[in-house]
Formats: sequence, structure tokens, C-alpha cells
Amino acid sequence: MKALDIALKDMTRSFRSFFAIVFMFVVPLLVTGMFYFMFGNMANDGGFNLPKTQVIIANLDQGGPKFQVNPKNIPGGRDADTMGELIVNILESDEIAELIEVSFAPDAGAARAAVDTQVSQVAIIIPPDFSEQFADQDGEAVIEFYQDPTLTIGPGIIRSIMNRFMDGMAGVKIAVNVFQDEADSSDYAMTGLVVQGYLDTSLALREDPEEDLLDVRAPSSAPQSEEQESQNLLLSIISPIMGGMMIFYAFFTGASTAQSILKEEEERTLPRLFTTPTSQTTILSGKLLAVFLTVLVQVIVLILAARLIFGIQWGDFLSVALVAVGIVFSASSFGVFVNSFLKNTKQGGVLFGGVLTVTGMLGMISIFAIGSPAASQMGDTVSLLVPQGWAVRGLMQSMSGEPVSDLLVTTLVLLVWSAAFFTIGVWRFNRRYA
Amino acid sequence: MTNSPAIEVLDLQRSFGDTKAVQGVSFEVRQGEIFSLLGPNGAGKTTTISMLSCLLRPDGGDAQVMGHSIREDPMGVKSVLGFVPQEIALYEDLTARENLTFWGKMYGLRGGALKARVEEVLDVIGLRDRAKERVGKYSGGMKRRVNIGVALLHKPQIIYMDEPTVGIDPQSRRNIVDSVVTLKDQGMTVLYTTHYMEEAQELSDQIGIMDHGKMIASGTHDQLVKLVGGQTRIDLTLNMEAGAVLEDWRAVEGVTQVSAEDGLVTVLVDDSNAVLPRLFDVTNRLAARITSVDILEPNLEAVFLHLTGRALRD
Repeated sequence: MKALDIALKDMTRSFRSFFAIVFMFVVPLLVTGMFYFMFGNMANDGGFNLPKTQVIIANLDQGGPKFQVNPKNIPGGRDADTMGELIVNILESDEIAELIEVSFAPDAGAARAAVDTQVSQVAIIIPPDFSEQFADQDGEAVIEFYQDPTLTIGPGIIRSIMNRFMDGMAGVKIAVNVFQDEADSSDYAMTGLVVQGYLDTSLALREDPEEDLLDVRAPSSAPQSEEQESQNLLLSIISPIMGGMMIFYAFFTGASTAQSILKEEEERTLPRLFTTPTSQTTILSGKLLAVFLTVLVQVIVLILAARLIFGIQWGDFLSVALVAVGIVFSASSFGVFVNSFLKNTKQGGVLFGGVLTVTGMLGMISIFAIGSPAASQMGDTVSLLVPQGWAVRGLMQSMSGEPVSDLLVTTLVLLVWSAAFFTIGVWRFNRRYA
Repeated sequence: MTNSPAIEVLDLQRSFGDTKAVQGVSFEVRQGEIFSLLGPNGAGKTTTISMLSCLLRPDGGDAQVMGHSIREDPMGVKSVLGFVPQEIALYEDLTARENLTFWGKMYGLRGGALKARVEEVLDVIGLRDRAKERVGKYSGGMKRRVNIGVALLHKPQIIYMDEPTVGIDPQSRRNIVDSVVTLKDQGMTVLYTTHYMEEAQELSDQIGIMDHGKMIASGTHDQLVKLVGGQTRIDLTLNMEAGAVLEDWRAVEGVTQVSAEDGLVTVLVDDSNAVLPRLFDVTNRLAARITSVDILEPNLEAVFLHLTGRALRD
């Protein structure tokens, strides 16, 4: 009972502190709010739509073996009698119509001139023997990609689309070569059938070229309006940020609340507590309970506030509860652990500026690296060196709807971290006041 | 006051590294009396009181507080005493009432009894009207009163007060001294530490004089004064460095001790009327001039000077 009294007293003091309230609740929500309005406005204004890249095509392909690709597998559903037409159809397809605007040139010179005069940003020149070279075992099918050297994003997107298409076609070419090793090289009809078969298969696997470029996730499989899609994209950006902010500041709260042990020592109220008929175990338990309850209140309030203000989907109740428990235990025990190494509150500046900031940033690397797959993979690994990283991982798992069994593992790891921090911290404090 | 002891201290010892803060201190405090530990800063008073309140574990010796050993039964000791620390030990971001309520809980009070006692103590310390204000907004004197009020919450049999008047204005000091007398009148045993001779002299039934971690004398005021043989103390200042006259003054008939500190020369004499003219004669011969004279009847200051050869000052 006395432990609870001490905890409630500490919480009253914490929640009366303007500084504490700002750092516990206002700052995490404010930072997320800034991202929300920044990206929200962009989404509402169509800010995510890049300006269309002007592409001029000189399709000079005169054809090779006759083949007919199944129209349902060609973007736009149109027929293609040559490889050149196939490329044109892909670039004219509705799926990437928002990204590029296609026009045509009668010859290569006109196409290059359009780029030189900045009428177009990219010229794609398909040579006359493109289909023939493609079907020829020893042939080399090459497309000329001519771009404005001052531009990067638009031409980069077109180059990416073309590269992915050509990668797929490389597989087809290998198949053609293998077939021609076994058959009469002049059997264009058979070659056409093989090409058609592989094209059908290849194109069927990549029905939406845009999907290869943008990783847009949506929680619902139901058809969504443009506004809903924009909102989902916004949430996919700010949800990890909010989660990261919550974890970052929960660890700060754990450390600053645990610092009340040192603060009370300096204010001489801790020695006075030791003169009352209250055991040292009870006093320390009360202090630790205060840390735990304060972080718990912070996490619950932030989860609910973020849900109400930003509409963040944290995941199902059980998952969120598991992660919240992990965050609360790890943040509070980490605070006790770190403070047990301090001699006085003056050293707290080093604690907050150094240890917590560095471990916090390390833990959130995976969030900052979301946009870069390679960096994200490395970030995921590095962030797991600190408890904040495991907490972030747990939240991401919950938000992406991963099974509870996966979350249990993450929570278990957090609890193991917590047990280690707690044991060392309490041992050191007990020894200090023995 | 009864003859049964409230506190019995036997050969208490405590060191901090190589520093022996308390060296074999023994004394006894009877129930209902005020016992003052008097001594300069660093004498070992706070270390002694910290051991008696179970904040520090003694290296040697023991003490019984209302029959509870500070070594064997610290919780028993804590349950019968109230402790007023030297510094203000309160939560400044809580109100006076919240502070008292919290500390009352730490002393085991609950429910209606706690609530009633908090109001009683607020009346005792005269802060009921301002009980809703945060302690941080109080003046130093008001904080001191709350600091004392906390120690009274559970109606302890013994109260320890560790230099409660340090650094406060004369009016607040007067209030605190008066409140200590009131506590004694209510039958409480008070262990009081101070380096102010006047407080010890005014308040105490028994006085223990400490220096360098040792109890150098103890007894009633009259008993202690007898140690200096009823000598009178004369404080003098000169128009020149005191060092020039010290040796000659020591040779004056009737002078038993001479010391100088910060330009003030303290002389212990048997008969001030007889000795003072001789001191003026000697001073004149040395071409010096006495600029002020203060004659003090035998007191604790003189006792301390007699016992240690030093004045009882910071």
C-alpha cells in the first residue's frame, strides 16, 4: 500500500510538471502532426503525382517472326504484331498514363531533335531490326534511350520501366535461343509461338508495371476512392513516425521518471523517507512502480490520441496490448538501469543527450530507412541492437497485421531486455542505499 | 520528565574513509527532556543523529531508542521517532496538505485518522489557511514549519531536530524555539542539535558538547558552567593586530586563558573588575588601544573555549 502511495505521489509530481507533459504527450503528437499536415496537404493537393514525363517514340521495328501476344496480357489490351509494338503498347498503357505522356516521331533524328529542343524529355528509338534480332539466336536487340541530361526523376522512371520490361524479355530471348538450337532456324512460325508463349507468361506476371515502381499498401481489399487511397498512403507514412516518436519519448519518460530517485536523494526527501517506518524495498518498489505507471499512462494516451487525431491503425487489440506491455516494461526498466549508473541528476544531461538519443535513433533506423529497401534491411538489423529497435519492430508487426505468434516472440525479447535492465538497476540502487 | 531513559547511546562510532566522524560517543536522554548536542560544524552531531535515526549504520557501538536497538530493530526505532532534518525535505510541487498527507501515510496513518491529524498539524504549524498552496511558494520560515509538522504527524514519543534554525530569520528562529518548548510541555522527548550556544542554553535540560567526533562534556547548563570554574569571559577588540598583545595579556594576574579569532580577543578571567584595569595598563604600555569591551558571565561558549581552546564559532 505504501509503495502505491509513493507511486501515486511521484505520478502526481510528474503530471504537474509542464516540462514533463510537453515531452510525454505534446512533442510526439506535434512531430507526427507536422508530418501529417505536410504529407496530408501534398496528398490533398495531388502532391504525390509527379509531373508527366514527355516520351517520344520512334518505333521503326519492321517485325520478325509472326506472333500474336494475348491482348489480355498486354497493358491496354491491344494487339502487338512486333516487339516494337509491344513496347509502345506498354508505354501507352493506362496503368502508367499518370506518369508519362507518349508521342511519336517518324524517325530517330526527329525523336532526338525533340529531346534536344526540350519538347520531350526522353526519346525511345526502336530499331528496324529489333524483332528480327530478338528472334535471331545470334542477334542483339538494342533499344536506344535518349534523354535530357538535366533531368533525372522522369527519365529515371521510364528507364526503370524499360529495364524491367527488358529483363523479362531477356528470359524470353534465352527460351528462343534454346528452341532454335533444337529446331530449324528458319521456322519463324514455331519461333513466334515460343515467343508468344513466353510473352504471355512473362506479361501475365507483371500486369501492373506501376506496381513495380511504387509500393502502395492498402489495408482493405475493397475498391477505394482516390481520397481513401491518398489517406492510406498518408497513414503508411505517419504511422511508423508516430510509433517511433511514442517509443522514443516513452524511453525518455522512463529515464526522467526513474531519475526522481536521484532527485529525491538531492532534495533530501529520500533520506527522510528512510527515517519513516517504511522499508527500503517498499520505497524503491514505489519509485519503480511510479516509473512503470507513468510510462503506461503515456503509451495508452498516445495510442488513443494518435488513433483519434490521425486515425492511425495500430492493429488488433491483443497485438497492440502485447506491444504496449513490451514498450512499457522495456522503457521503464531501461530508465532504472541507466539511472543506476548516475551519481547525481547533473549527469542526467549526458544521459538524455547521449545514451537515450543515440539508442533511440538506432532503434528508429528501420523507420527512417523505409523508403530504401537496402538501407531498410540494414536498419532492421542494426536497430535490433537496442531495445527501442525491438519495440519499433513490435509496433510494425502489429500495424501490418502479423500473427500474434510473431508478436509474442518480439514481446518476449523485450521482456528479456527488461528483466536484465531491471535486475541490474535494482541491484545497483539497493547496494547504493544499503 | 521521568527517570527512565528514552535514548541510551553507548560507544557509537562511525567513519567515512579515513575520517573518524564519530568516535565512541555515549550519552543518555531521559523521557520528556530536551537534550541538545552542541558543537561547531563538523563536530559529528549530524552523523550521530543520523545513526540514531537509522539513516546510517554505526561501525561500532549501539543505541537503544525507547527500548529498540538501532542495530537490531531499526523499524521499531523509526516507528517511535519523528525526524526533522537540517535541510527542508519536502515536495515543493505538492501543497502543504498533500505533503502532510503523504508523509502521514509513510508513518502508517490512514483514512479518517490521517485526515484529522493532518488538519491538527496544520493548526499547530499555523498554516491551515494556506494549506492549498504549493510548498515551493512558501517563505523559508513557512517551509521550516511544514518541515517540523511532518515529524509530528504520528505523535512520536521522540523527536530529533537536526539544526532546525540554520539559515533562517530571527523571527522564524524564535517560532521554532518556542515550538520545541511546546513539544516538551506536551511530554515529548527532544534530541536537538545546534551550533548556537544561546539555543542550547535556553532550551536544554541536558547538553552534550561535541568536538571532532567526541563528546567532550555533558550535563546540565549549571554543571557545564562549573567546568570553567565560574570564570567570566571578556571579548575585546584592539586598534591593531591582536597578536601583538596576546603574550603580555596571558601574563596578567587573574587571566586564565586568552585566544584570538577574526580580530576578536577572548579572555577568561576569575574577576573581571580586578583584571580589566590591568589589561588596559598593559595595552597602554604596548602603545595599543582597546576599542571595545564585552563582558560575558560564564556560559557554554566559555565552556567550549575552556575545553577546546577554541571559540564555538563556524
